Amino acid sequence: MRPAQAGARAALSAAAIAAVAALLLYGFLAAESEKTVGLVLAGAVVVVAGGLRSKVLPRLVRAAGERAVMSALAIAAVALIGVFHDDPFVLLLMARALLVLVACLGLHVQLADAGVPNFAGAAFFGVGGYTAAVLGHGATPHLLVLLASGAVAAAVGSLLLLPLLRTRGHYAALITIAFGLLFRTFLEVNETLGGPQGLKLGGLRLLGLSFNDDREIHGVEISGYAFYCLAAVALALVAVWLVRSVESSWIGVALDAVRLDETAAACFGISIGRWKIAAFTLGNAIIGVAGGLSAMMVGFIAPNNFTFQESLVLVSILLLGGLGNLAGLAVAALIVIWLPEKLQPIQEYRYLLFSVLVVLVLVLRPAGLIRRIARRPFGSLAA
Amino acid sequence: MLRTLAFLRLALLVLLVALPASAKETVKLAFIGPLTGGNSAIGLGGRNSADLAVKLRNADPKSKYQYELVVLDDECKPDTGVQVATKAGADKAIVAGITHYCSVVAVATVETFHRLGLPTIVWGAVLPDITYGHSYKEIHRVNGTMINQNETAAKLMLKQGFRRWVIIHDTTDYGKGHEKYFKQFATAGGGKILGSFGVTADQQDFTAELTQAKALNPEVIFFGGLTPIGVRIRAQMDKLGINAQFQGTSGIVNDDFIKALGPLAEGVVAFREGAPAEKLPGGKFFLEKYAEQKYPNPPEAYGPFAYAAATLLMDTIDKVGPDRKKILGALSGVKNVDSIVGPITFDDHGQNTVAAITAYVVQDGKWVVWEDSEYASGKRKLKGR
Amino acid sequence: MNGVMLGLMYALVALGFTLFFGVLDVVQFAHGDVLTAGAFVGLAAYAALLHAGVQAAVPQLIVVVLAATFSMAILGAVLGRVLVLPLKGAPALNTLLATLMGGTALRECIRLFYPGGSQPQRFPALLPTASWSMGRFNLRVDNLLMLLAGVVLVLGLSLLLRRTRLGLAIRAVAQDEETARTMGIDFRRVVLLTFAIGSALAAFAGVMNGLYYNEINFGSGLLLGVIGFSAAVLGGLGSFTGAVLGGFLFAGLQTLGAVVMPFASAYKDVFAFAVVILLMTWKPTGLIGEELGERV
Repeated sequence: MRPAQAGARAALSAAAIAAVAALLLYGFLAAESEKTVGLVLAGAVVVVAGGLRSKVLPRLVRAAGERAVMSALAIAAVALIGVFHDDPFVLLLMARALLVLVACLGLHVQLADAGVPNFAGAAFFGVGGYTAAVLGHGATPHLLVLLASGAVAAAVGSLLLLPLLRTRGHYAALITIAFGLLFRTFLEVNETLGGPQGLKLGGLRLLGLSFNDDREIHGVEISGYAFYCLAAVALALVAVWLVRSVESSWIGVALDAVRLDETAAACFGISIGRWKIAAFTLGNAIIGVAGGLSAMMVGFIAPNNFTFQESLVLVSILLLGGLGNLAGLAVAALIVIWLPEKLQPIQEYRYLLFSVLVVLVLVLRPAGLIRRIARRPFGSLAA
Repeated sequence: MLRTLAFLRLALLVLLVALPASAKETVKLAFIGPLTGGNSAIGLGGRNSADLAVKLRNADPKSKYQYELVVLDDECKPDTGVQVATKAGADKAIVAGITHYCSVVAVATVETFHRLGLPTIVWGAVLPDITYGHSYKEIHRVNGTMINQNETAAKLMLKQGFRRWVIIHDTTDYGKGHEKYFKQFATAGGGKILGSFGVTADQQDFTAELTQAKALNPEVIFFGGLTPIGVRIRAQMDKLGINAQFQGTSGIVNDDFIKALGPLAEGVVAFREGAPAEKLPGGKFFLEKYAEQKYPNPPEAYGPFAYAAATLLMDTIDKVGPDRKKILGALSGVKNVDSIVGPITFDDHGQNTVAAITAYVVQDGKWVVWEDSEYASGKRKLKGR
Repeated sequence: MNGVMLGLMYALVALGFTLFFGVLDVVQFAHGDVLTAGAFVGLAAYAALLHAGVQAAVPQLIVVVLAATFSMAILGAVLGRVLVLPLKGAPALNTLLATLMGGTALRECIRLFYPGGSQPQRFPALLPTASWSMGRFNLRVDNLLMLLAGVVLVLGLSLLLRRTRLGLAIRAVAQDEETARTMGIDFRRVVLLTFAIGSALAAFAGVMNGLYYNEINFGSGLLLGVIGFSAAVLGGLGSFTGAVLGGFLFAGLQTLGAVVMPFASAYKDVFAFAVVILLMTWKPTGLIGEELGERV
């Protein structure tokens, strides 16, 4: 196939995927009654399952190539933001889902790539948020504040590096669990960071724009949350690009080796310690930045946001989507964040529902709802 | 031909006039309170009272709109509170809110309501900062603040002859506020605060704090916090053999406190703003109508305030229409408006002045107004008298 | 006195963890929530007794304890059969996650389906409340009784493991599963019985917790589970003495933390967990460590 033809085919395939996704998402977000939501959900399941079964979906993805699909989805997201430009509730939902996705990407690097368990994901999300709260009021440009959120989260995580490297399996898991509990209790008792009352944050201010204010452009009212949503889309794009680049590079191969068989990897001269540190730190940094942006968007942060329960929710998303599968991760994040909001009866029962789902997945389909795509030697995953 | 046209025009006119009258527009109000967790009794009482107000209004043929109460649970946690506040504020269909019993939450959501432009009336939170800590127009409050509460409390306890206190308070702004104001009024009247201990709102074990308190030998242990830990502290006081009088705030004036402690609750003193429901100007009417609806929970201490807040909002909407900005404007001009809790006037910070502070004491498993109790008449004695 | 009680409670939970780990090499993270469930079953039994008109404290106490321990023994076995055994070949993290989630499901069920479950529930004081005061010391009869009961249980368990055939079977399976099976030990039965015993212990700890604080809360299982696990790990997973030691060690750390930082006793948890992390850095497999050899 000639390059021009291949390019056109890729663009069309990507557009097709993005269009279907956008329609389904729009239907879901715009639905008013619970019956409509149920119908849209059923439709979505049929479309996705059908696409996977008939191999249409994988073929489209392969024809399009990862880059194209990502760009098309990003354009679809911006289009959705445009459609819901004055509905703060929907915009908030979208932004929340995107930021949770970014946080899970961080966890993904740690758990799915390097095999380092992190049960304190919510705590690092909180570290990012508190950093944004402390620095946000000062004169630091907010772009730097966001980066600092990531840096501080990574720095706090480095406290756990030594214990994590010395322990294996259950013991390593205990370290992160204990840290998560420790962190939350510390925040609640300590007055300097607001104690149980929490801290308030002024909104994000980038390029002279205050994201908290609603704006009117050419007579069209745009809610402040639309800008946060755009920022979240940008952050998500950067995070996905970063994670995929790492995964498809030689770093990714090293991480895979460390995860699959530490002894063998060590025999091949791969420094286990160095790669675990790298993955853990990078993951925490990503989680931290997401936490910083989230805190600025909500305008408030309190220790109760970062309990062990919340960390478990993040890990559940990873498992439900299938460890190692980014598309599954995105779908799982959407389900976990949006479903309880749109289906009121589920709100009350959501923790019960998620835990039962995860148990079922682990016992019946340990590879997750959609399986991890194995690495193909001598070629990137997108080929 | 001409007659048909005229008839049609008449029919159209009639339709245009009749339709709005027959199909009333639905207006949504949000109610936010702690519906689950240790303070749920009060939250549910508040919800039922607001619901009562809406039901009575909807049954009234003179009302211009059909009202719907959107009930949201803030779980008495600031983060959940901000989440539901954002939900309520972001929902364009909701035009006003009746908000919060827990001060911790009310203080956190002030910014959220301001940012999203939702006019709200607080129905149960007593921290002064909620209305006085800022100058946003969106926040109003019908119940009183803890300043008057603690002033009256100090006066009464000093009159009883108590002079030495140890304060245990929770570390939220609510507990810290009580500590600050009570200390201020008690020391001004000649009392001594021997020590002050901060505890977390979900603390289980108070051995460390109580052992130190015991060593200071106080006459009264003043507790600034809510029912769940109030219950634990009182129970553990007994376990450690501390024989001091237990004095609480509005946070423990509810039936759950007595139910959980049983005989240990006897003789506990507490204070809160407003008169008991029966003694309010519209109290009897409120209690009658409340009983008719057969709610599973009683209105508790702040039910009447929730009712008054809901009624005030609906009256305002009937006057200016379901528009947030217009409602805000109208609320700032509220002066001497009659309600079941007495005349409501919002000062320049949206705060209503509630004159009455009621003192309570637990007698035979019930909260009894101090003046009516056997403790006041001298038949029974408080600890150490 | 307080520290000793806590230590005993943690030790009982830690023993469960260590038993499960010894027998199946798994960490059963729903253990803490089993403790809470046991306490709630006990409370429900008490309510039923009151309804039936039984007022005397002694039969109430006996029924509550029996109801809690038996029901949790069954639940523990069920969890083992449904959650843990099927995941036997899977990576260790999967079992950890599955049991964590199972625990969450259990916790949520209590919160949602027990009447008023989201609030702290009053637990009746079923033990005599007399107390002796010796200067600054306050010795209460109920604490003493609970302490004695706990010690009896621990000793009983130790005897079970060292003197009975079941105990022998458990230890055999813990040491080498394959050989034990070859020797004719019914692996499944032993595992399920171990789960039952461990969970019964947790239920007893749950009732103790309720009697001590006069209150039970649907969420307390999470923290107690993590503390029990930390205690078991501190002492070395798989070691009986280690679990008991770990339990008292953790309680001791908490008490130390409260004494060292009297201005905010909540810091004691921060202190205790921090020390746990440090200790694990120094001795990754616990103070009485597991032998971690790797077959290449």
